[in-house]
Amino acid sequence: MKTLKKLTDIPMEDYLVGGHVACQGCSASLGLRLALKVLGKDTIVINGSGCMTLLPVYPTTPLRVPWIHLAIENTGAAGTALYYALRRKNIKANILGYAGDGATYDIGIQSLSGAAEKNIDMIYICYNNQSFGNTGHQRASSTPRASYTTTTPVGKVEAAKDMPAIMAAHRIPYIATACPSYPIDFLNKVKKAAEVKGMAFIDLLTPCPVGWGFDPSEGINIGRLAVRTGMWKLYEIMDGRVDLTYVPKKRKRVSEYLRAQERFSHLSDDDIGAIQAEVDQEWAGLEERGYGYEIMV
Amino acid sequence: MRQMITGNGAAAWGARLSRAEIIPNFPITPQTAIIEGIASWIASGEMDADFLPMESEHSVMSALAAASSAGARVFSATSSQGLMLMTEMMYVTSGLRLPVILVNVSRGLSAPITLWSDHNDVLAQRDSGWLQIFCSNNQEVLDSVVMGYRIAEKSEVLLPMMINVDGFTLSATREPVEIPDQGEIDDFLPAYNPEHTILDPKEPMSVGGVVFDEYMYFRSQQRMAMCNSKGVIKDICSEWEKLTGRGYGLVEPYCLEDAERALVISGSESAILKYTVDKLRKDGEKVGMLRLRTMRPFPSEEIIDTLSDVEEIGVIDQDISPGSGGIIATEVKACLGRGVTSFIAGLGGRRIGAEKYEQMFKRLGRDVEEWIF
Repeated sequence: MKTLKKLTDIPMEDYLVGGHVACQGCSASLGLRLALKVLGKDTIVINGSGCMTLLPVYPTTPLRVPWIHLAIENTGAAGTALYYALRRKNIKANILGYAGDGATYDIGIQSLSGAAEKNIDMIYICYNNQSFGNTGHQRASSTPRASYTTTTPVGKVEAAKDMPAIMAAHRIPYIATACPSYPIDFLNKVKKAAEVKGMAFIDLLTPCPVGWGFDPSEGINIGRLAVRTGMWKLYEIMDGRVDLTYVPKKRKRVSEYLRAQERFSHLSDDDIGAIQAEVDQEWAGLEERGYGYEIMV
Repeated sequence: MRQMITGNGAAAWGARLSRAEIIPNFPITPQTAIIEGIASWIASGEMDADFLPMESEHSVMSALAAASSAGARVFSATSSQGLMLMTEMMYVTSGLRLPVILVNVSRGLSAPITLWSDHNDVLAQRDSGWLQIFCSNNQEVLDSVVMGYRIAEKSEVLLPMMINVDGFTLSATREPVEIPDQGEIDDFLPAYNPEHTILDPKEPMSVGGVVFDEYMYFRSQQRMAMCNSKGVIKDICSEWEKLTGRGYGLVEPYCLEDAERALVISGSESAILKYTVDKLRKDGEKVGMLRLRTMRPFPSEEIIDTLSDVEEIGVIDQDISPGSGGIIATEVKACLGRGVTSFIAGLGGRRIGAEKYEQMFKRLGRDVEEWIF
């Protein structure tokens, strides 16, 4: 497939079809639907327990490609085994791991690390709603500082883990961040992920209307704000080098993003000012380095 | 071909002869020699399989389930803490009806940490929906692995099987073992060709989805498969006997026809118990033994058939459910509908020996839990 340039370049075929039970405005299911358009019918999905596990509800399934769900913490291990089993059975297919941030950053990091160390030829997309979303928005190591969750009722103290950097330390050939609000950027990354030989990891920000507290119609907009305020950076890591794939022409104030969500509604103007200062400092550093830098030597 | 090999060696031979294709693994004493043996065969080209060193036993069981779902014949081995870490995935594997074969080299559970044989690890998986076989010698280990695939892969069964090998007493002890020819095994055990779970884009299938009200229906299917397995195990065992001359069943009765007193046991300790029975029989004592070979399915009919006329019965447990007693004793009591003497012995590999068995035969007749140190 050629590099996508415009929305109409996105294939029409769907392998995740309508009628499933994901919430209105769920961008995690949108992310899967988009990814499958690019990966096509010769794809097998491994799901780690979470919101997406509720897609196939017996006796129905909205998936037109093979799908397997085993448990929350073993998407990497299942990918490793599936890779070898398919090779033995002479079945050619993309292996797509699709697991949430809790299943990736936290409980599943061991098995993900095992698959990355072996550089298993699979695409692992972490659909990242920055919390344990399916159980009702509890704190995860992916939750950003200050965010309300049901288990951080006064806001999380610690910053989110830098998962892409952890994956970079495994020296896998392709790592990226993305957001379904930028489908062309996301799908070109999925395409690259499928093309590289070895493991590819994409951290996909998927705004969650239920957990984050915004109207379901606002999901795409919230994702755009996350990127345009500089709070979610879109980049790739290849050969130990980080390169931004999108630089906002004029960054919006973080308050526009934070004030649009209930999970940050407890923040004072001063709190938001402090977050703005942090983001400004980070982006000043990025600009200085031409929006690209080496992280692995 | 007859060789002097350990229980671990016999387990590895079982996997090799069965042409297991995917071997996810993680080292743990006293199992490690099984996966080391397989690794060296794969390296030398004597075995055609993919050796997958995983990052934990949880990942091992996950890998077994994933590869089996894709239609591969899979094998692994573990012990004790490793089996405990697999627990979550044990239920997933049986629930997905995957004919995985796992050898458990039994070892006491921590804490305090020990390396020696004990059945609390394997019995903790009693309710996981796995078939469970307890081996009494190294030949039985090899035979059980090969027969295991035939049994587990039968469409009326489709359940995973755990084969228990007592740590050190079998796993590290050499015994003469008859190793069948590969051609003979290839005729006995054809390639695995699943129809119920396939991961192939040509035939898209969603595996491991959510159920609501149907959950109980699926559990009843699993229970039916376990019931079906009794007949299948007997059939496959008699087929194996025709092929090799070595017969097995759900239980192994020993000198029970006219026995007045009997001890029920499982695993390799049964060898010394048989010796004790022979010794006491020479003195004119009417004693006998019943070895439970399958723990799941539980051989209720066989226990009733063989023990109903025995006056005094004791059950030896190398395990303990604190606050309840010997796990197997509890089940035997429920099955027979009468009291038995529950002996707790050999925990953490503590030596039992003939003198203690003699002591147990003398102490039958009371429905109590007695610890034989």
